[in-house]
Amino acid sequence: MKIDNTKAQMRKGILEYCILEILESSDAYASDIIETLKKAKLIVVEGTLYPLLTRLKNAGLLEYRWEESNSGPPRKYYSLSKSGKEFQKDLKITWEELQTAVKIITNTPKNHE
Amino acid sequence: MNKTININLSGIIFYLDEEAYNLFNRYLIQVKNELESQEGGEEIIADIEARIAELFTIRLEKSRHQVITIHDINFICDTLGSPKEFMGEEEQSNEAHLNEVKSKKRLFRNPDEKVIGGVSSGIAAYFGTNMILIRIIFLLFLPFTGIGILLYVILWAAIPEAKTTAQKLQMKGEPVNLSNIKKSVTDELEGVKERFGQFGKNSSAKNNSFIIFLNRIASFILQVIEVVLKFIFNFIKIVLIIVASITGFVLFMILFGTIAETWNISGLNVISINGNLLGLNIAQAMLGNGIDLKLLQAGTLLILLFPILVLITLVAKALGRPLTKAKLFNVIGGISFLIGLAFIVYTVGQVATSFRVKATEMKKIQLSGRVFDIRADILERNEGFLFELNDDRLRIENIELQIKESKDSTASLILKHRAKGKSNSFARQRARLFDYPIDQTGEILSLSEYFSVPKEALYRGQALKVTLYLPPGSEIFMDPSIENLIFNIENAHDMLDENMLGHTWKMTEDGLLCADCEAIDYFSGSDVNGIMKDKEEKEEKEESSGMQRKIKELESEIKRLKSE
Repeated sequence: MKIDNTKAQMRKGILEYCILEILESSDAYASDIIETLKKAKLIVVEGTLYPLLTRLKNAGLLEYRWEESNSGPPRKYYSLSKSGKEFQKDLKITWEELQTAVKIITNTPKNHE
Repeated sequence: MNKTININLSGIIFYLDEEAYNLFNRYLIQVKNELESQEGGEEIIADIEARIAELFTIRLEKSRHQVITIHDINFICDTLGSPKEFMGEEEQSNEAHLNEVKSKKRLFRNPDEKVIGGVSSGIAAYFGTNMILIRIIFLLFLPFTGIGILLYVILWAAIPEAKTTAQKLQMKGEPVNLSNIKKSVTDELEGVKERFGQFGKNSSAKNNSFIIFLNRIASFILQVIEVVLKFIFNFIKIVLIIVASITGFVLFMILFGTIAETWNISGLNVISINGNLLGLNIAQAMLGNGIDLKLLQAGTLLILLFPILVLITLVAKALGRPLTKAKLFNVIGGISFLIGLAFIVYTVGQVATSFRVKATEMKKIQLSGRVFDIRADILERNEGFLFELNDDRLRIENIELQIKESKDSTASLILKHRAKGKSNSFARQRARLFDYPIDQTGEILSLSEYFSVPKEALYRGQALKVTLYLPPGSEIFMDPSIENLIFNIENAHDMLDENMLGHTWKMTEDGLLCADCEAIDYFSGSDVNGIMKDKEEKEEKEESSGMQRKIKELESEIKRLKSE
């Protein structure tokens, strides 16, 4: 089993959740989402986000509208769809559960130390 | 001084210097190779292109430059990352498999230089020819047959539009020419040689035996054969695709001819026989202009949809861009085919039932005099069709003329009208609706080559039997113009109809006798007679030659006697 593979799978799930979380507070276009994720160091290169956004959109979790832009071509503004909102709530619960679980396990004093 | 190249990215024009362009081009092709096969790949590519356009704009504003340089491209590559990573957050199994940038040419419609759909400019880009030339070829097809329009529409539907810049770059690609084909073959052969060489090295290092040498030869030959076969197969494949498209197209045009006819679309009359398109006269004559015709028209249209859709998917497949909705296309086509077939079966059934019962109406016309000259008005446009449709009359050419001996002392014409219908009363009613003009002016008796019925009566097996009853002693000249009317006219000489024309005939109690025939041709006339004549002549010749021989013998006898 490759370590890279495990890392990538962990990140993948969290990344999806984070995108939904960003869009939950306000609608955003791809560059906004990228900025936020970059600041959090969740992604390094922008290219990885576009396939992800398209897939979430095609899965019916996201919707978009076109908006004119002063710099460059029109922008796609993404927002959560109805099922996207439910999905986000579900993931939030799962995430909190996982967080507590990981905290309990990592905080348990280790005997042989 | 640097050369700049302008590109269109998401609708915005950018100027790139040559170095930047080459790098950017490679990058975009990589992006495309990576994403194209993914679900929603085109959309992702478009999104990325839009983002690049945005980044370019921002950078140009900041730097106050006008031309994008290699530094900007490097920035883009760093910001967006390597295309191989793009799907990295998606399927991990989808490991990068393309190391090389392959620029394979594909047929796209060119949205930047289009008049209608960009088909011509796309084709021109593909073949590296002049766009105007392709347009002229399409235009040439246009006025004659309409094939150009159809071909264009099919290509329009089958060829995808080049949406992303990467596609636009790919649209141009490398020109397809002989030297490139040659190159690809030599490349393959080069590869074979290399493998062969390696094999040789390995084996000679280990063992130099004869078996290994044979092995080398065998594998080399096999690989050469493989390359040659590959080339031949590809060639056959291309030929087959061309043949299949032509066949499909011809089939399609035949069907289209039928529909143009049933729908009476002039100008799209692709296949016409003597100006009569397949079908319409017949369809209208049999069905009228009512609901039955409409059903037949709808039926042909629905049936046609099937081959059109199949053709579109096939063309798309042949061009290496199979449609994503090919299955749906075929299902829709199949359903419409079945519905269309049901419509046609229904109308055909309707028509068939109205041919069930036969009825005959008789009419007698008294003629005056004992000498006749019978002739016919020849149809001005007799093209061997059973019937023709005029404005409101249906002209039918189903007539049989007979000449018989009259029971009384006067001449008369008996017309037997025959028609079919759903029931006896329908058939009888229809049989009364004949119009067959006959005119007797002195000796001249004029018949018509056709009879007519009102259009509403429709064609229901109408036929006319005309019998001319002549009293014994009367004479008739049979004008050659009645050739298409007469049918097995009985005569005392058993002469064939065609031989009877152009002669005067006398009605006797034994039947018709020829009054002015030089030699009476019995049975099938000239043939039998000819054989008889030949035989007689031969016999005569033989006789005469025998006589001559005898005379010679006698002369020699006399000479002998004299000398003695």
